[in-house]
Amino acid sequence: MKTLLSGASRAVLATASLTAAISAFGTAQAGEFDGVTIEAKLIGGQQYEALYARIPEWEAATGAKVDIISKKNHFELDKEFKSDIAAGTTSWCVGSNHSSFASQYPTLYTDLTGLVAKDVVAEFVQANIKAATFDGKLVMLPRAQFDVSALYYQKDLYNDADKAKAFEAKFGYSLAVPETWAQVKDQATFFADPPNFYGTQYAGKDEAIVGRYYEMVVAEGGKLFNDDFSPAFNSEEGKRALQWFVDLYEAKAVPAGTTNYLWDDLGNGFASGTIALNLDWPGWAGFFNDPSSSKVAGNVGVAPAPKGSSGARTGWSGFHGFSVTEDCANKEAAASLVEFLTNEDSQKLESAAGPLPSRTAVWEYVSEQAKDDPYRSEVLAAFKETAATAFAVPPTPLWIEATNLIYPELQAAILGDKTVDEALEDASDAVDSLMQEEGVY
Amino acid sequence: MNRLKLPPWLVLLLPAIIILSAVVLIPLVLSLYSSFTSYRLTRPDSIFNWVGFFNYEKALTDVKFWAAFGRTVLLLTVALNLEMLLGLGLALMVSKVTQGQRLLRTMMMFPMMFSPILVGFQFKFIFNDNVGLVNNALQSLGLTDRAIPWLVDGHLAMFSIIFAEIWTATSVFGILILAGLYAIPRDPLEAAKVDGCTAWQSFRYVTLPFLMPFIYIAMAIRSLDVARAYDIVQIMTNGGPARRTELLWTLIGRTGYVDARMGYANAMGYISIFLAIFFTIYFFKKLTQSRKELGMGA
Repeated sequence: MKTLLSGASRAVLATASLTAAISAFGTAQAGEFDGVTIEAKLIGGQQYEALYARIPEWEAATGAKVDIISKKNHFELDKEFKSDIAAGTTSWCVGSNHSSFASQYPTLYTDLTGLVAKDVVAEFVQANIKAATFDGKLVMLPRAQFDVSALYYQKDLYNDADKAKAFEAKFGYSLAVPETWAQVKDQATFFADPPNFYGTQYAGKDEAIVGRYYEMVVAEGGKLFNDDFSPAFNSEEGKRALQWFVDLYEAKAVPAGTTNYLWDDLGNGFASGTIALNLDWPGWAGFFNDPSSSKVAGNVGVAPAPKGSSGARTGWSGFHGFSVTEDCANKEAAASLVEFLTNEDSQKLESAAGPLPSRTAVWEYVSEQAKDDPYRSEVLAAFKETAATAFAVPPTPLWIEATNLIYPELQAAILGDKTVDEALEDASDAVDSLMQEEGVY
Repeated sequence: MNRLKLPPWLVLLLPAIIILSAVVLIPLVLSLYSSFTSYRLTRPDSIFNWVGFFNYEKALTDVKFWAAFGRTVLLLTVALNLEMLLGLGLALMVSKVTQGQRLLRTMMMFPMMFSPILVGFQFKFIFNDNVGLVNNALQSLGLTDRAIPWLVDGHLAMFSIIFAEIWTATSVFGILILAGLYAIPRDPLEAAKVDGCTAWQSFRYVTLPFLMPFIYIAMAIRSLDVARAYDIVQIMTNGGPARRTELLWTLIGRTGYVDARMGYANAMGYISIFLAIFFTIYFFKKLTQSRKELGMGA
């Protein structure tokens, strides 16, 4: 009897484990990929490691092995992918991808539509799926690294009665957390006390400043590109957007070196307590409120991204994802790994540390989890509100190249080497030549 | 049937020829060929798309390319001359030291041991306008109350890059000139002393001519280095802001690897090589001339 029971319970347990494994590992069957080795090129960095620590679970469930052959940041991976395409060495299987880079590799990655079940794809935030689809090809599954920027601010600046009085006397309206970019400009100028304290700051080079400018153009009611990808930013909206950056620099409301700053400089700058208002990514939320890393810990407020003069919020967004190469020898196994790395459990694990998920159910889960943590709830509410109207970069393989033509001109206007009109005209001409040379129109 | 018999000298040279062809000649020919195509890294088949001299015409008529070319020549001229003067001073001082000279020589070589990437990060921090050492020191000493934008201002950014270049490479001149100082025969110096020459006259008319071959060798080596300047600039300013510190190789690197336009980047690269060739020929001519003046033959 004992033997029978134990045999029965073993069978039940085995069935239960198999069912659990199948649900946890997508459509993969236990041992389905025995002997298969999946070579992967993944984004490296401490914040991404927790997810990779789950890979052995997938290996144990499917019998496959994962060999991570490259771990770099996305800018370095981008160069490596381009070299791989040029050299024809693209037989590795899984690559980290990013919505801002993805359109550049039209031949590298395969369409996941046939490899991942439709109902699985339906579980993701559909705006993300749309941004991961190029020419009808779903090139990646988004991981829980969705990025859109909200406004971090130092709370005590808004609790100071003298400041509030002085502000109202100068600008004619009461001092409150800004809801528009015009208010951000007023307040940044008001709070600035260089070289010890600055009103705000912005990313000043590479794709970063073009992204910031892009979202400001949209918030002003304009477009960066027309539908045929001809430049559309040399417009009244585009000029107003650039003037905002120029005015803040001229007023010394931003650090003098801001045109050299990238994300780390900005994050560390706000954490140093010398910046009043800071539009930044969700990944910094924990860092800013951690006393061991930030002087403003306990004094950080987070509000949705402000609106431009058109009433639209800024909301340049992007996300990380995983793709499967066209030349991969075992696309099913690779797709199974990608599905595993982006499934609910994986997204719950990643978003527990702060990053935003890209699955609808996980958004609900993290909101529920944050109920008893007022700061985390504030962060999630601000980012959720901003994410609702977020937009990805224009889907052209020439995006990065176009940004390399635009950003030096934006810098030239900010630093006073050119007027706003001259800078935008030069940038527009350069992008127009690029598009024509590449046969876009 | 006659078997093809290669002459023994060719057989012996064949491995070297094959290796050199594989690692030098083939990449050179391939890059030269690709400079006549619209080759993009992301579209491998574009390497067969022959565009003639289009890339060269585009580069030669591009104001940004010539501005970067001009800035590279400026960097070369200023950095090389200052490194030479400082290296000469350093070598003269070290040669006078009687105790601990070996330790000093080793210390002189320290900056050369740092990777240029590390030097770039080091000076990027030192010259940071907000948290950098220089601004903090100047503000603490009461010399300024503003944040000087070292890496942003048009002149200061170039100065900061030249400063980093000089810091890392002055010792190349120092070491080579020191070797020259040790090689100077004592007789002419003693004869100059007997003839009543001042210290300056001895240096100007005896020591310096002996040192010139060493200086020109250092110049030739460093001119090749600086003409290819990339790492330090890439880290400190990435050629910006607003192209204020854009040099040839930051422009070419971005065009080739970030924009993936390898054909155009190679065309710019081949035009830029003339700069390096010009400086190398110039310094070798000067070297030959100074050796002739010393009676060391051509």
